[in-house]
Amino acid sequence: MSAEYLILIIGFVFGFYMAWNIGANDVANSMASAVGAKAITIRQAVFIAGILNIVGATFIGSHVTNTIRKGIVSTEVMSDPHIALAGALAALLAAALWVSFATWRSLPVSTTHSIVGAMIGFGIMAGGISVINWGKLGAVVLSWVISPVFSLVIAFVMFKVIVRVILSRDAIFERSIRCSPYFIGITVFVVVLSFLFKTPLGKKFSISMPMALILSFLLAAVLGYIGKVLLRRYLVETESNGNGAEEVFRRIQIGTSCYVALAQGANDVANAIGPLAVIYFLVKTGTIGDKVPVPIFLLMFGGIGIALGIGMAGKRVMTTIGTKITTLTNTRGFSVDFAAATTVLLASKMGLPVSTTHAAVGGVLGVGLARGLEAVNFRIIFQIMIYWVLTVPASAITSMIVFKIIRIFY
Amino acid sequence: MRIPFLSMFMTSPFDGMQEHAEVVKDCAWVFQEAVECHISYKCSRFDSLRGDIIEMEREADSIKRRIRGHIPKGTIMPIDKFQLFRYLREQDSVLDSVEHALDWLSLRPDEKYPKEIQKDIFHLVEMVVDPIDELGNMIVEARKYFHNYKEKQRIIVKDIIRTLRLQEREADRVEHTIKAKIFSMDVDPITVYHVVKLAEIIGSIADHAENAGDMMRAMVAK
Repeated sequence: MSAEYLILIIGFVFGFYMAWNIGANDVANSMASAVGAKAITIRQAVFIAGILNIVGATFIGSHVTNTIRKGIVSTEVMSDPHIALAGALAALLAAALWVSFATWRSLPVSTTHSIVGAMIGFGIMAGGISVINWGKLGAVVLSWVISPVFSLVIAFVMFKVIVRVILSRDAIFERSIRCSPYFIGITVFVVVLSFLFKTPLGKKFSISMPMALILSFLLAAVLGYIGKVLLRRYLVETESNGNGAEEVFRRIQIGTSCYVALAQGANDVANAIGPLAVIYFLVKTGTIGDKVPVPIFLLMFGGIGIALGIGMAGKRVMTTIGTKITTLTNTRGFSVDFAAATTVLLASKMGLPVSTTHAAVGGVLGVGLARGLEAVNFRIIFQIMIYWVLTVPASAITSMIVFKIIRIFY
Repeated sequence: MRIPFLSMFMTSPFDGMQEHAEVVKDCAWVFQEAVECHISYKCSRFDSLRGDIIEMEREADSIKRRIRGHIPKGTIMPIDKFQLFRYLREQDSVLDSVEHALDWLSLRPDEKYPKEIQKDIFHLVEMVVDPIDELGNMIVEARKYFHNYKEKQRIIVKDIIRTLRLQEREADRVEHTIKAKIFSMDVDPITVYHVVKLAEIIGSIADHAENAGDMMRAMVAK
């Protein structure tokens, strides 16, 4: 067997490992609020998140991956296929090492950052410091600060609105049903817009911005109305102690959680199989350009990896959520989900590599600041941010070392 | 900490506050029984009841410490951290005063209280048991308010606070009556001192309950 095929096999193994890790650790972002708010059971959450991650990864995930994510490193270093192959493998191994280390030491390290850092490390080794596009890197680091803040603001405002128009009023149940078309509508609006602009599938329709806005608005209005009719038909007021709003939002929240899971599959699958796609393309064709096509089976492979991670380790995470997050009710959970989904949409529209974790963390803080949660640890955000930033140089250095070692043999 | 989303959620201090209020509430009835037992001199259970109260006080203390120890810097809550601590201190002082009253009683195990004063002491105890009961309700209702921020709910909490204030005033009045009565009686000075001090200690239970109510008023302020 040639060295190239050996590298490909190793690439598959570690690509799968990365996908598994995304599933095991990041499932909390999409399903935590729904499980914590008892909108769905743990079993349902595992099942729904698994399926939607596969669907998201396979059908919505990017079919073309930038050779080096988001152009932080100049592609000149990729001109030698030999070095490119060693580099992609080094990046994948270094990122996998970091994710394992993080899991072992319980550090909040995201796969996105590990991959970005590992790519930078390899870039520096292969082409020197000059290949790093510092402007792009700065924008990426800035986005790690901006996206949680953005999500925080949306969640804050959304929760305040819910309190003002529903929770603080009389006849909460009736009011929630009456207001439900607006909440369903605004969610559908965000989902449809993001589908049209964020996904390759949506881009195929090539719909212009004003048209997309009109289409999203119409769909939002129709689905909002249908949602209201269904809620009125199938939901009966059971308790009069003010839980009526939670019953209504529980139904809406299932939808928002599903959207976050779908977006997660579509968004994060590239972290696992991006470098693998590069290796695959190099082995198959022997050359490489700025961008490489990602075959659908690779996307599905990544999606299945994520789903298996959710299935095997996600249950443990969800059990913790169920017992630990008891103060997150449906109205609060909806605010968090909505903020997270909207932030992911807007950040990726601006071409920033945002992770669902950033958005979800910001959302929880926003609801906390709006006095919606009985206790939230705010200081943790600083610890999280330190690790977000430290991961990049750390995985870059790891990637350099791994690259050097691979170059000895190959 | 591997999953940031999870690490952000903390144990709610309201759980602890409610638990603490429950212990304080439980002690109210034991306290009433203990005082009646001591004063009626037909009862030998005083020491065991006092032991129960000491045990409850210890339990409440550990709950209080647990709440204080689990609110690190940078915790976001719907209420101010120091308001919460002051509230908790007052609620805890209720129990401390209960324990103190029984301590004071135990110093004179064979005290013979004049008949006329006995009824007033029972009445005063009754007067302070009610506010202790109200404390538990107040937390439950306040928690509901922090869930829905409904004005009606805020009024319910404010009503409880008002009741606490009225009950304290009433207890003050009874305390004063006891003091006035004992001074006008022909009893030995030691008994006078013992009864006056006892009335003051029991009266302070209602004071602390009222103070807790005042802190709650600050917490539910808009």
